[in-house]
Amino acid sequence: MKNIKNLRKEIAWMTYHSKEGHIPSAFSIIDIVAYLYEYVLKFDSKNPKWEDRDYFILSKGHGCAALYAVLKKHGFITQKDLEEKNTEFAKLATHPDRVKIPGVEASTGSLGTGIGMALGIALGLRILNKPSKVITLIGDGESNEGTIWETALLASNLKLGNLCVISDHNGSADKVLAVTNPEKKWDSFGWNVYSIDGHDSKQIKKTFDSINFKDDAKPNVIIAHTKKGKGIKAMEDNFGYWHSRVPTEEQLKEIYDELNKGEN
Amino acid sequence: MSSLRELFPQIITEVGLKDDKLIMLVSDISHFRFKPFFEKRPKQYYNVGICENTIVNMSTGLAALGFHVVVHTFTSFLLERSFEQIKLGFGYQKLGGNIIGIGSGVDYSCHGATHHCYGDFALMKAVDNSEIVFPVTEVEFRELFQQTYNDGKLTFFRIPQYSHDFVFNPEDIKFGKGIIIKEGKDVTIIVCGQPLKSVLNSVKELEKLDISPEIIYLHTIKPLDIVMISRSLQKTKKCLVVEEHSMYGGIFDDVLRFTRDLENIKYSFINFGGTFIHEYGTYEQHHKRFGFSSEGIIDKVMALGK
Repeated sequence: MKNIKNLRKEIAWMTYHSKEGHIPSAFSIIDIVAYLYEYVLKFDSKNPKWEDRDYFILSKGHGCAALYAVLKKHGFITQKDLEEKNTEFAKLATHPDRVKIPGVEASTGSLGTGIGMALGIALGLRILNKPSKVITLIGDGESNEGTIWETALLASNLKLGNLCVISDHNGSADKVLAVTNPEKKWDSFGWNVYSIDGHDSKQIKKTFDSINFKDDAKPNVIIAHTKKGKGIKAMEDNFGYWHSRVPTEEQLKEIYDELNKGEN
Repeated sequence: MSSLRELFPQIITEVGLKDDKLIMLVSDISHFRFKPFFEKRPKQYYNVGICENTIVNMSTGLAALGFHVVVHTFTSFLLERSFEQIKLGFGYQKLGGNIIGIGSGVDYSCHGATHHCYGDFALMKAVDNSEIVFPVTEVEFRELFQQTYNDGKLTFFRIPQYSHDFVFNPEDIKFGKGIIIKEGKDVTIIVCGQPLKSVLNSVKELEKLDISPEIIYLHTIKPLDIVMISRSLQKTKKCLVVEEHSMYGGIFDDVLRFTRDLENIKYSFINFGGTFIHEYGTYEQHHKRFGFSSEGIIDKVMALGK
């Protein structure tokens, strides 16, 4: 996909401007989130509650700057909304709120909860006999949470083939409670497993082209191997330092320069 | 007579057969009692297994699609283990649903405190958009469930094992409203749950002592019928709250808070205190130890003085 760097700039800018955010966590998922809204999800930004829409739940809610950048691109929210982020009566904040933001399906931020809500929506769509699909994005750190595995067990048991989990493995958990060999783990829970470079749009496309979101079948998980802070070397090399750091004005300029020089 | 614990699945089944938006989720409990519902409406009933956090998370997804979801298992695990999911999933996200918990108080008298719940009122009161209902008999549950299950709020139903045996008419049961079981002038006894039986058993003895108690029975804990309570306290000037709950955060705390501007009221309470219960035995033995017997109630009323 083209112009992902502009979305990365948007993420960096909104974090700088609002004085809070998680840039590296958003950078690791922006390629996938952008692709989803461009090519995979059915939605109507003029009617965010459209009954026949697909559902996307960002279970790793602290990566929401990526979602906000994409929602703005597709007309759910405005530049003004971004400018007001984190102010007293703003729509947008450091974690997303479904009550306030058009296009946001779940108020996440507490890791391990969005995925369960996604399961409930997938089941509900089956009961309603609707063909819409549900995609939820979790993190490897989030995969320390027991509810991830409860949901994995239950979704497989219920054969919710209309549910797809994208697991953003950006190395967050590696030094604390590493979730090693996620492909094998999810496979053992009875899921269809895909393993990709989460920044490679060709692999993202090939994977989504091959997934058949058919109900009453195995659910699908995409293990997306990514880099936390992708696009900025200092962040990739030291994402712990940058996890919730707000760039200074000078650092923001350096981020822009590096993104401009880099590939898409 | 069958307890409400045994009867409530039948009532939910009756409602669910008429409302295809009612979805019942259980955590591997009461499954056989819901068999008629499952057989007639397999798409409306799911036994998801023993995963309380996820049963709450998934129920919020169903609620978001407009279903009237009902989630059921032990109160201690559903409320206390999954409290964050309840708080955020329903409260913060402003979604409605129903939580049906069994095993509150010391209903499971020999199971140990892992299967008690003394703080359910306190927890659920703190959740935005919540209601708390404590029906004891079939008619109470039938009326209160139908009045609230699809009202867009999160309703917690505390389902007891033991009954007070008082017979209500269906038209007497109004969500949010207390019931004056007996009018009196000397002391207001506010009671919920099975202890109504002991309260009623104490009346004769109290009247022999020239004390005329007014008995207010509560099947709705939140919202509390503070109008009825305030009127009664203004008349009697003495208040005894009898509740199978911790001393922290129950009905007594709310009564104190909401009547703090009334003058010259004396207050007392009977509850489970503030620590875990390490004793076993029968439900009645637990009750006697904490003063829920008619003798205990009379003692507390006498201590309030004339």
